[in-house]
Amino acid sequence: MQFLAHGVGGAKDLPIPAEYAIAGACAALAVSFTVLALAWRTPRFNTGEPVTPVPVRLASALDSVWFRGAVRIWGFAFFLYVAAAAVFGKDLDTNPIFGVFYVLLWVGLVPMSLAFGPFYKAISPVRSINWALAKLAGTDPERGLRDYPSRLGYWPAAVGLFAFAWFELVYPFNAELGPLRLWCSIYVAVMLVGGAVFGNAFIEHADPFEVFSTLVGHLSVWGRDGDRLVLRNPLANLDLVAVKPGLLAVGSVLLGSTAFDSFKGSNWWTRHIQSIDQNITLINLAALLGFMAAVFVLFAVATMLTGIHDGTRRSQLPELFAHSLIPIVVGYFVAHYLSYLVEWGQLTVIRLSDPFSTGANYLGTGDRAVNFWLTYHPTFLALTKVGGVIVGHVVAVVAAHDRAIKLLPKKHQLTGQLSMLVVMVGFTVGGLALLFGG
Amino acid sequence: MSGVEAVHSRHRFVAAVTAALISLTAVSACASKSDDESSSKSTENAEAITITIKGDTVDPNGKRYDLDLNQSVTLTIDADEAGELHVHSKPEQEIEYDAGTSTHELSFDKPGIVAVESHALEKTILEFKVD
Repeated sequence: MQFLAHGVGGAKDLPIPAEYAIAGACAALAVSFTVLALAWRTPRFNTGEPVTPVPVRLASALDSVWFRGAVRIWGFAFFLYVAAAAVFGKDLDTNPIFGVFYVLLWVGLVPMSLAFGPFYKAISPVRSINWALAKLAGTDPERGLRDYPSRLGYWPAAVGLFAFAWFELVYPFNAELGPLRLWCSIYVAVMLVGGAVFGNAFIEHADPFEVFSTLVGHLSVWGRDGDRLVLRNPLANLDLVAVKPGLLAVGSVLLGSTAFDSFKGSNWWTRHIQSIDQNITLINLAALLGFMAAVFVLFAVATMLTGIHDGTRRSQLPELFAHSLIPIVVGYFVAHYLSYLVEWGQLTVIRLSDPFSTGANYLGTGDRAVNFWLTYHPTFLALTKVGGVIVGHVVAVVAAHDRAIKLLPKKHQLTGQLSMLVVMVGFTVGGLALLFGG
Repeated sequence: MSGVEAVHSRHRFVAAVTAALISLTAVSACASKSDDESSSKSTENAEAITITIKGDTVDPNGKRYDLDLNQSVTLTIDADEAGELHVHSKPEQEIEYDAGTSTHELSFDKPGIVAVESHALEKTILEFKVD
């Protein structure tokens, strides 16, 4: 992404060398068909084998009111601090709110959720406010005036994620304080009203950051077995993603917007969009929607091109396989945002010391300098990008394979996966091509 | 699952992991080989570039140039009114130019794609691929 007005953009990463892109594409192809040909033929994940509990002491410490409360208070204090910068700070690029919103929150929640599971849920300021309001009213934050309609599923989150992607990648004034404040206010307001009407179930399905974080958290080792905190193989954890309407939409919005971000930064797009006398914002919006729709349609069609059991409805297959998009999204995120997170993340931490642009150094980070090690090592960076995309691809293929074995009739288990495999290889090759052509 | 099946599925698992490792090794092997070739350039190397800004039009229009690390490039700006260019390097730089013809030196000490933009025109004038 590029912040025109405030110059938070800086230099972009070099394109990855062609050899890396080609080698990565070959690896994706080889691994995919290897998995198809050689991997297990009976479902392996969550088939009733015993799970590994977290040691009792650690589990009770992690689940204690003190720990939960401390994490929640830390999250809320950070929210208040940043909100103060947004409300009372200056409309300058030194205002840390931009870095907090686009870098620490949006990109940072991926590694945090990979490491700790549903990270945003644990710190979520909107959950904290919803909890406080419920306590004041003497009601239960989990319950609202009515039940959350289950047919909505994750669709509200897909809309919220799209709203974020539009704001970040299409809206021309995304680096000005006023619009950013407005976006965040609408987010908080919608979550609180929804929380009051439907209880925490609304936040669980509609908060774009929480849904994103919780889905990525399924690739961590942290899980639940009933109420018990357990350690799981991330592949088994991913298999437990709740299948609900809108799951594929969430995956498509995330993958499509990340791919569009990369495409938008390419020299080809820059030159062409400048040569046409049309509304650039509209073209970008159309392209963003096009990328998301392409992911959605390709994936949906690919999952349905298979023989099925008599009792299975073909139209349910896309959502049943949609969890396998999550590792692909994470791989893309690593590839596209790693240097961005590391370098702009550092700059944001430095700027957090001076939230009102007065020269203050509240946190003592104000006189640090950004470490540009990653920028100085483009080969390492390029390898990490290709590695991220390939690992995401492999995890996705394995997740889809296990699901296919669970769902499809014996004779269609292999052929039924072919179309999905082709589409996944297509996503991966497309992603590598974007990294190469950037 | 039966014992025989378990053994089979274990074999498949080991085979799959082995294949994955071989593929990844292939990737890194190709990658390390390519280090020697990194100096091959696809686009023209820039030493002097002329930028023409007249009204709403600017030339070049987003073209990308190759540049070595710490190699300096001379921008000759021919403009009909004074203005400012933003150079999106790390850290950011700005070029202020007057009406008429002026020359400016640039060089970059970090690899990356650096865009030179006119914010007034909302256009990317050119990009440097610095490596």
